[in-house]
Amino acid sequence: MIKLSGLRLAFDTGFSLAVDSLKVREGEVFAIIGPNGAGKTTLLNAMAMLNRPAAGNLEIMGRDALASANKLPLRRAMAAVFSQPYLINDTVFNNVALPLKLRGRVDAAAVEEALELFRITHLRDRNAKTLSQGESHRAALARAFVTRPKLLLLDEPFASLDERVKESVIQDLRKVIKISGAAVVLVTQDQAGALTLADTLAVLVGGRILQQGEPQEIFSRPASKEVADFVGVETILSGRVSANSENLCSVEAGGHTLMAVSACAAGDSVFFCLRPEDISVSRNADAGGRRNNFKAKVTGVAPWGLQYKVELDCGFTAQAAVTKQLVDGLGLKPGAEVYASFKATAAHLIKRNL
Amino acid sequence: MEFIFEGFRKAVQLILSGNPEIFAIARLSLTVSLAATALAVLAGVPLGSWIAVKKFPFKKLLIAMVNTGMGLPPVVAGLVVMLFLARSGPLGFLNWLYTPKGMIIAQFIIALPIITALSISAMQNVDPKFYNQILALGASDRQAVWVCLKEIRLTMVAAVIAGFGRLVAEVGAVMIVGGNIRHQTRMLTTATVMETQMGNFDMAIAIGLVLLAVGFIVNLALTLIQQNKVLAR
Repeated sequence: MIKLSGLRLAFDTGFSLAVDSLKVREGEVFAIIGPNGAGKTTLLNAMAMLNRPAAGNLEIMGRDALASANKLPLRRAMAAVFSQPYLINDTVFNNVALPLKLRGRVDAAAVEEALELFRITHLRDRNAKTLSQGESHRAALARAFVTRPKLLLLDEPFASLDERVKESVIQDLRKVIKISGAAVVLVTQDQAGALTLADTLAVLVGGRILQQGEPQEIFSRPASKEVADFVGVETILSGRVSANSENLCSVEAGGHTLMAVSACAAGDSVFFCLRPEDISVSRNADAGGRRNNFKAKVTGVAPWGLQYKVELDCGFTAQAAVTKQLVDGLGLKPGAEVYASFKATAAHLIKRNL
Repeated sequence: MEFIFEGFRKAVQLILSGNPEIFAIARLSLTVSLAATALAVLAGVPLGSWIAVKKFPFKKLLIAMVNTGMGLPPVVAGLVVMLFLARSGPLGFLNWLYTPKGMIIAQFIIALPIITALSISAMQNVDPKFYNQILALGASDRQAVWVCLKEIRLTMVAAVIAGFGRLVAEVGAVMIVGGNIRHQTRMLTTATVMETQMGNFDMAIAIGLVLLAVGFIVNLALTLIQQNKVLAR
């Protein structure tokens, strides 16, 4: 659907985007995540042919998207939704009908269908400027879908929505993507949203794609410390592999010998990575078969979404995610003595270049 | 003081009696200024939108020149048009000097920078992201500009009002190019100047009142269009 190579974009501000290779397959949801200012929107705008790369190749649906003659026909086979809905000062119906009108088509049935898909039929005669934020986003999505695009570009489409509205919009969007079979490129800072929607994930930091692959893979096996930092690996320790026996590595880090399943060789310098949800906290020393088990002192407890995050001092500092029941049941508070344990398979090693 | 009230009384009498000459002059004034405004809109709105949207060298310089043009003295515009249309001038063969056509050209030149400059600033006020969004929905450049113009129609109608207001009240250019010839190129403004100079205050006041009325009626119509709910949908 999209093939992109050697793409370079430079700005007066000194920021530059350099993407060596990126491929979006037909019908897949490709999410680009990254911190603020990473160049996500710039990359998406390049795919929407809204900026002009200094170098590189961009092929969309088998056609050269950098050739100006191809721009209009390609744009008419796709659609984009940005973080602001940018609706025109007209009725919801006419907003959704706009892309058809731009293509010289009148198709009231298609408009009604798009309104129905995003459950805004009751708003059809309202002026778009009078809609709530959630309704505006639904209208913008309906407008993007009305032409049945083969490719849909979404730039932070839920950024300004509150959690509850966001969830329902995402669910409707997922349903519609499935029905339509369109390829979707989704740019977002919202990792949960990316996880629920994406087939493929790319992590963009500082204008470079640091890793792309299956979301689960990236979240549990980040390829570099920057990616690990961004995808929520909270415990990152510098260490050295002291032994490797059939891919079970012993790692000297934080004053302990930690066990991790990895192909790293003895002598490698590594980052030892642990996600907070992979650390178990308990009051007794029985690790339940987990290879890593340490006596630890609680140094902090803070709410974290629906859970709590517990900071532990095991000789090294580790962050564990625990439920409220566990916090109450174990009486977790600063100073409490506990045991922290985790599986060797949950730990992930990133080779460190010295 | 007496002569002012007397002038007003006679002026109202002249208007109420339906003085045919006054109404012929009013019709010509309206025709010339409306035609010039319409031409300036047809040329200035696309030109201004194009300047606003496109990137090209010396764009700021061009915008500065257009902005300067907003203050173009009508007598200068009139002089230039007269020199071009004069029998021995480059466009002398048209025989448009001292005709309504010549006056329309002169007023068009006065209104063009106003409409263009106001179109530029109105278009530049459109969020580039909005423009990009319309492009990304499958619009050609021209269609995207058109969608934007519809978004800023309030400002655009205000630009038309400003342009027409300037023209209908303008005297210098039409005096030079038209020559204030009775039954041919006499406009409300030139007639007012002439009658005042001749001491016919009642006639001058009457024409002045008609001029105000013409301006008001046209602006009322434009304002109704601008504020119209049907159009604002």
